[in-house]
Amino acid sequence: MTNSGKFKLERRLVLTIVLLPVAMVVIFVGDTVTDYAIAAAVFYTPVILVATRLLPAGTVVALAFACVALTLLSFALTHSGAYEVGIVNTGISIVAIGVTTYLSLKLVAAEAAAHESRERLLRMARITSLGELTASIAHEVNQPLAAIATSAGACRRWLAQEPPAIANAQRAADRIVEDANRASAVIARVRGLASGKAPHRERFDFNALVREVVALAGERGERSGITVRLSLQHDLPAILADRVQVGQVVGNLLLNAVEAIEAKTGGAKTLEIVSETEDGNRIRFSVIDSGAGFRQGELEHLFDAFWTTKKDGVGLGLTISRSIIEANGGRIWAETDKDGGAIARFSLPAGMGAIE
Amino acid sequence: MKPQLPTGKTADPTVYIIDDDRSVRAALEDLLASVSLRAKSFASVQDFLAFDLPGAPACLVLDVRMPGQSGMDFLEHMTEYGLHLPTVMITGHGDIAMGVKAMKDGAIEFLTKPFRDQDLLDAVHRGIEADRTRRLREAANADVARRWASLSSGEKDVAQLVATGLLNKQIAADLGVSEITVKVRRGHLMRKMNTRTLADLIRLLDRIQPT
Repeated sequence: MTNSGKFKLERRLVLTIVLLPVAMVVIFVGDTVTDYAIAAAVFYTPVILVATRLLPAGTVVALAFACVALTLLSFALTHSGAYEVGIVNTGISIVAIGVTTYLSLKLVAAEAAAHESRERLLRMARITSLGELTASIAHEVNQPLAAIATSAGACRRWLAQEPPAIANAQRAADRIVEDANRASAVIARVRGLASGKAPHRERFDFNALVREVVALAGERGERSGITVRLSLQHDLPAILADRVQVGQVVGNLLLNAVEAIEAKTGGAKTLEIVSETEDGNRIRFSVIDSGAGFRQGELEHLFDAFWTTKKDGVGLGLTISRSIIEANGGRIWAETDKDGGAIARFSLPAGMGAIE
Repeated sequence: MKPQLPTGKTADPTVYIIDDDRSVRAALEDLLASVSLRAKSFASVQDFLAFDLPGAPACLVLDVRMPGQSGMDFLEHMTEYGLHLPTVMITGHGDIAMGVKAMKDGAIEFLTKPFRDQDLLDAVHRGIEADRTRRLREAANADVARRWASLSSGEKDVAQLVATGLLNKQIAADLGVSEITVKVRRGHLMRKMNTRTLADLIRLLDRIQPT
């Protein structure tokens, strides 16, 4: 957002905070001076609607209570008109205020959730489609490698001269060392990129996260006719980790499993997703697929960079997953299922106590 | 851009390098120096274009991916700048499509980094040879054109008719002059064009497009 945009928003906020009480007072006075038959109190609902856009949920609820209180007060102060009609109108007004508050707060929360999952999907897309990333990594690494190979050629030629041009060869060798260090710095940068910034740890409900990611990846699984079974332990303790990063790992494991199932022809197409406690103070997450499993010797390379079992895989997904899980204090591994499919598991330390 | 230079045999060949990476440039310059080739490098296409090229045989080593104008883009439009340099493309991340496009745009070689030093040197030598040949041919053509320009219009007429295989007598009839005049003009033009045989003359006339 631009600075002027921010400024505008702040001014709007200040204006609203001043105008909302003024509007409420006007409505209150109008409600009090008119007779029972006029339900002026329903005009509190626009006040609530404006407030939900700009104020935190707690304040909006307080505001709604204030509106209800004012409605009751003006009912007590009003003396003209039919008393019974007044009771009905006041009741309708209070219900309208209550329903408006509830629905508009729900709406705001739903919007926030939608925004959050869109953002997560974007981040996931960034990490799963690595084509662009690999192109620039290849370029970055090949530059110093080209310099090294070329300098080595020059060095050899200086030495082969009669008499050998030692000083020149020395300079070429120095350049080789410099460029080798540069190549290694590039690799270090890539590793830094893969493991991301220091994880932003928070306590969160792991099962809720799994459900969200499953919902995101669900469509793909449905298209491929995969039966997804969720076995989430219901009293799972909260975990203390970077929610977005862990979400990426869960998404990556699910996509791997879906791809493994898709790659296998025939047989059952099932995907089992399990969450459970492990040793009381850790949670363990497993994705069990009915794919072809691992071939001899594949298990130990699975998490190596640029090593892949997929035909057009890049071999970075699990490597990045491992650095994320390890950075969050957990570990990740793979096993072969007794039915021949693959199991990918990770465990993470639990935060203190269950959520709520 | 047609420098009236010595034929190019005497001028030292130069290899131009355009690559945004400083250490790649340094390594290439050193490699070329180790085989006694003169090199001059530039960090960008803009820098290269600002440089006043001397008329010696040359070869260009051009990186594909650079900030500013990319090597591929420059290669495609090089002739529009009046440049006819044999070009060796080098790239850190290339695919077949890119290689094919480079070759179609006239590159003499497409190498992916890291490349074998010998491959680069071979390509550069080929490029320099090609440029030397082109320069010699252009210089010779320029010489023929100069000679042609020194002919009188009557002599040019005779030359063109001679080349079509007509006899002196027929030429005289065509031009409406005496056969003696044709013979005299023919003698002059052969001397001016510095040719002894009719076959030589026809070969020379082929290289210029008389208008």
